[in-house]
Order: sequence, then structure tokens, then C-alpha cells
Amino acid sequence: MTDRPGPTLTARQPKAVHSALTVLEAVAHLGAGATAREISLELGLPRATAYRLLNLLVQDEYLMRTPDLAGFALGAKVVQLAAVAAGPARLTSAARGVVAEARTALRGGVHVVFFVDGRVRVADADPDFPLSDEVRLAREPERFALGRLLLVEQGSAAAPSRQDFAELGATRQLGELVPGYGCVAVPIRDASGRFVGAVGFSGARHRADEPSQVLSVLEPAAASLGPLVV
Amino acid sequence: MTALERAIARPDPVHDFGARSPLYGLDRRSVGFFDVLAQSVAAVAPAAAATTVVLLVAGVSPSATVLSIVLAAVLSLLVARTISQFARRLAAAGSTYTYTARGLGRGAGLAAGAAILVGYGAIAMFALLGGAYYVTFLLESAWPAMGGPGTLAAVLAAEAAFVAVVLVRGIRISSRIALVVEAISVALIAVLLVVLLARIGPIDPAQVLGLGAFDPAALAAGSVIALTAFVGFESASTLGVEARAPLRNVPRAIVWTVILSGGLYLLAAVAQVAGFDAIGAPLESSASPINQLAAAYGLGGWGVVADIGIAASFLACAIGSTTALTRVLFTMGRDGVLAAPAGRAHPRFGTPIGAVALAFPVISGVPFLLLMSGFDIRDAMHVTIAVGGAGYIVAYILVCVAAPVFLRRIGEVTLGATVEASVSAAVLTGALVAFFAVDAASGSVAVWVVLAVAALAVVGVLLRLRGGTPSLERIGSYDEPVASQVLGGVARRAGSGGD
Repeated sequence: MTDRPGPTLTARQPKAVHSALTVLEAVAHLGAGATAREISLELGLPRATAYRLLNLLVQDEYLMRTPDLAGFALGAKVVQLAAVAAGPARLTSAARGVVAEARTALRGGVHVVFFVDGRVRVADADPDFPLSDEVRLAREPERFALGRLLLVEQGSAAAPSRQDFAELGATRQLGELVPGYGCVAVPIRDASGRFVGAVGFSGARHRADEPSQVLSVLEPAAASLGPLVV
Repeated sequence: MTALERAIARPDPVHDFGARSPLYGLDRRSVGFFDVLAQSVAAVAPAAAATTVVLLVAGVSPSATVLSIVLAAVLSLLVARTISQFARRLAAAGSTYTYTARGLGRGAGLAAGAAILVGYGAIAMFALLGGAYYVTFLLESAWPAMGGPGTLAAVLAAEAAFVAVVLVRGIRISSRIALVVEAISVALIAVLLVVLLARIGPIDPAQVLGLGAFDPAALAAGSVIALTAFVGFESASTLGVEARAPLRNVPRAIVWTVILSGGLYLLAAVAQVAGFDAIGAPLESSASPINQLAAAYGLGGWGVVADIGIAASFLACAIGSTTALTRVLFTMGRDGVLAAPAGRAHPRFGTPIGAVALAFPVISGVPFLLLMSGFDIRDAMHVTIAVGGAGYIVAYILVCVAAPVFLRRIGEVTLGATVEASVSAAVLTGALVAFFAVDAASGSVAVWVVLAVAALAVVGVLLRLRGGTPSLERIGSYDEPVASQVLGGVARRAGSGGD
């Protein structure tokens, strides 16, 4: 939007950045229409400081004033922050050990993803057999075995995926993305049985058509990953 | 999992915003900071004012010329900061009219609107007259046969036509021309002043500041005259729709205009006071101090350069004032204060052509009538600048009163902002009274013209208020964010509030 870069950040300003993020956090928490007074109360910031931060965030369009000018709503621009805020998820070394064992047992790609707030986030992709398209996996989960598990959990999966899951306790993708290749995914569950993520295999299609050997490795791996990643 | 992450991943629908701004049709978000700054600087015309205002101030406050200018700069800065309270929060095209309406409601909003229209309109006329005067003066000095009222009228017509074309063609062109012309004129004057100062040699600060003979009454009168050299600094606030990142760039441009003009005036004042001290002549009785100083210090040829700079500055001032004038008229058309055609925008150029058509007959016609009815051009300039100055100051007073009320209404009032606004309003009111006391004492007719214009404005506002309150419901409209700019924004249906 601007013709030149906005104020540049210097090393002395990390506190200001922190304050700005807490203000955005407060607006998200209070909901659209929160007033400056409510926000400064919520944060326990001095009023003048809160007003200055709010006006700066409005100038940069991270916040929008409601038409009566008294309230604030998050600007569409905060989505840009999401990419920055969502740091790379990392597995613990114990979990990585489990994944390494599975990779040795299965000649093919083994990937681990988490389901974070309704979206697929890749935690550990197989370096030897890379995921076909990580971005697309996040955007169009219905096309991937890993994503279909998320949809099963959300109750919005298509009939074939639901049927697969009912029969196998896993979801599959059979040559739909790349002919000759298929995928199988089993859920990683927390103590209450909710899906927190999935571990998936990708490889030659016949091993997904007849998944018993793959499942015999993935299921114990998923079971041991559960307590390690939650 | 934080509230922010949740909001980004699954935004709640927000229904407070419309699908388009009430001020749609203008060339939205098209000019950057320097063009916005040029708008305000052009409306102030510091190059022209730097050469004339020092002489005027010296006339009423010979002992404290520099101090008067410093005081006026401080007051202007306070007003600029108060106006920025609005400019930081809403992107408007109506300047003090929209701001005052947001703080004090319809009646005061209309009054501030009438005042600022008088200010922009009269200063546009003043700049056209001033440009014609200086261009004719330059032509005459090159070709002596070129003088006379015929040339004056021809130059006036050419200027008005140029400004009209530039205004219709678009804000990018008009603001860029203002930027280039203003940068050249300010640079010419600044270089001349610095060279002069270098030739004058060391100066005595106590002498220049006039600390020896302190006269508070003269200081006040001098400050009021100096204040008229600053008015127009707020006009960046008419580009709220057209500026990029307006909530950052507009307030910044307003404050920087005061700082830049103040710096130039200070330079001019110091050079002239010290220069006339050094040559042992009284500044206040000089006819053309810059030219006289330039000649005295062996820079005779530079006088012409200064005159070219001044003529250019007047032209930029005409563009700037008319740009501001048309944006306010445009907003009034959209607000329903004026008939809908006033709010018409050019479909391709994104300029307020309805307002241009409304404004041009007046701002080019009145100077013609003044000259045709036998007014001396300098008298005509004096009357127009007095009327314009009064319009600006009235609008500033209203907007300064409105600021704390507005801030309280949106729950963001602070002690500092309230004090700044209140001090500004009080001092400006005193300044307005003093301005006319000074002017009337000098035997000028300006005060009567101002009173007549004010009476007309009051009648106009009262008639409009009686004309029907429902039609004034939209007063104070500004460039609201649209639903697509809001996380989870869902455009509200037309008719469910606002535009």
C-alpha cells in the first residue's frame, strides 16, 4: 500500500514490537468494536501509551477503526503476521527416533503433521521422499491422505474417506495426485482420543491399495508418538 | 494457541463496515508523502510569504520581528498537533469541516466548513492576483511595453486556465506540479538568504531577537501578522482519500509544513533584520527589503531570481488552495450539505469535477471584478488575504474546540491533547481580535469586507440548518475502511446505516 517502507526496526525497539503484538492480541480477545479504553484496561497499559500504539497499528492497517471511530477491529493485513508468528514446529528427539524407525521399516516417505487450529502444519517431512506440495496440503487438505484425517476429525470428510477410516482406521489417497503413487495416513491421538496430528506414508500405489504392511508399521508409530508430541 | 492466532485462522464475521467508502470516486491512495507535503506547503506558499511577511511584521513590531515569528510558529505547531489528532484517526477530504462536525456536530461543522471555504477560496484568489502581479512585474522589467492592466488580466486568465486544467487532470499531476514548483521556489529563496547571511557576516543574537527593548503589545501584534504567513498548513488534510497511508502521511505533512515554513521565515527574518542593522537602514520603511539587501551586498541580479521564485510560489499556492477548496466542496456534495452535483467525480481522472465547476467561476471571476472595478492590485491582495486569514483562523478555532470533545466521545482524551487544543483555541481567538484591531487601525477596509463575508456565511449556515435536519445526517463522512480491509469483514447491506 505504501510507496516506501514503513518505519524500520532497530535493535532498541523489541519492546515496542512486543507491545504492538499484545495490543493485537487484546483486540482479537475482546472482539471487533473494542474501544481504546477497554484495550488499555485489558493490557494494564497507561492510556496514552495504549492510544499511541493503537494509532500506529491503525496507520499501518493492522487495525481498523470502526466507522464510529471509537472501536477497533483487526485489519485483513494481520494475516501477514501469521506466517511470521507460526514458527517451524519441531519434534522432540524421542519422537524423531520413533519416526526414524518407521522410515527404516518402510521403503518410502514417512511424514508427521500436526493439526493446529483446524489446519495441517507439517512437523517433520521425510527428507528423502519430500512431500509433493506443503502449501497445497495446508490449503486443500481434502486432496491428501493426511488432510483427509483432519476432515474426518472435523466431521466434514467425503464418503470414501469416511469409509476408508471406518474399515482401516486410516485414510488413503490412491494415485489421485501422481499416477502410480499413493498415501496412507493414521491419526496421532492425545489422551482423550482427539486427533492432534497424523503420521503418513507415501510411496508406490500398490502398497496403499493393500495397506496392511504399511499399517503394521504406522499404527504402532502413531501410538508411540501420541504421548511424545502432546 | 493465542486469541490472535485463532482470529487469523477462523475470523469471526465483522458486519460494521460497508462495501465502499462514502467518498468513492476520487483517485484513492495515489499520492505519497512528498506530494501530500507539497500540498500543504504550496497552500502556505512559504517562498512568497518569507519575502513579504517579515516586512509586514517589522511594520508593527520593529524591535521584536524575529521573536514574533517564533511565537507564531509555536502557535501554529500547537494547532497543527491538534488537527493531527483528527488526521491520525480518520482519512477525510473535508479538513476542518469534517473534523469539527465529528466533534461538535452539524451547526459548528457547517460554520467551520463555511470558514475554511472562505479561507481556501480567498487565498486562491490572493495567489492568482499575486502571481499575476509578479509575472507582469517580471515581463515589464524585460519588455517595458508589456505593463498595464491588460497584461495583468491576460496573465490572470492564463493562470486560472492552467490551474483548472491541472486540477481536472488528476491529483497525481497537480500535486507533482505543486511539489516541483514549490521545491524550486523554496530552494531559490533559501539559497539567496543563506548567501546573504554569509555576506552579512557574524550576527549578534541579542540584537536580532530584540531582547533590549521588549514591548509585549507590539510582540502580540507582530505574531498575529506572522500567523497569517503560516495558515494553510492543514490543507494536507483534504487529501485523506488520495494519500497513501493517509493516517500516517497526512498528520506528518501538516506538522512538517509548519516546521519547514517556520525555518524559512526565521532565516528570512534573521537575514533581513541583521542585514538592515549592518547597513544601518530601518527595515520597516524599506519597499522591497530582499531586493534592497541583495543590491547592497552585490547580489543585484538575484533580485530577479527571487521574483521568479515568488511568482512560482504563488502559482503553486493557487493550485494548492484550489485543490483543498474543491475537496471540501466535494465532501459537502457527498454529505448532502450541497446539491449532489458538487460531489461528482470524474470517471477516469478521479477528480472532483463537480466541485471544480462550482469553484472556478468564483475564484477566477472575483479577482477580475476587483481589478475591473478599479481596485489597485495590491489593495485587492490585501483584502483577499485578510478575508482568507480570518476564514482560516475561525476554522482553526472551531477545530481546536472540537478536538477534546471528539477525543472524549471516542474515549481517547488525554490531558496533553486537551491542554494543547484549549491553549490554541484561546490564543487564536485573541489573535483574531488583535488581527482586526491592527488592520482597522491601519485604515484598511478589509475588516468590513470580512464582516460582510462572515454575515453572508452565517446566513448561509442558518438557512442550511433550517432547510432540513434529516438531509444533514451524513455530515462528517470520511473515507471509512471497507469490509475487504477488515479481518472477517462482511459488507453491511446498503441502507443498514451509514452510506
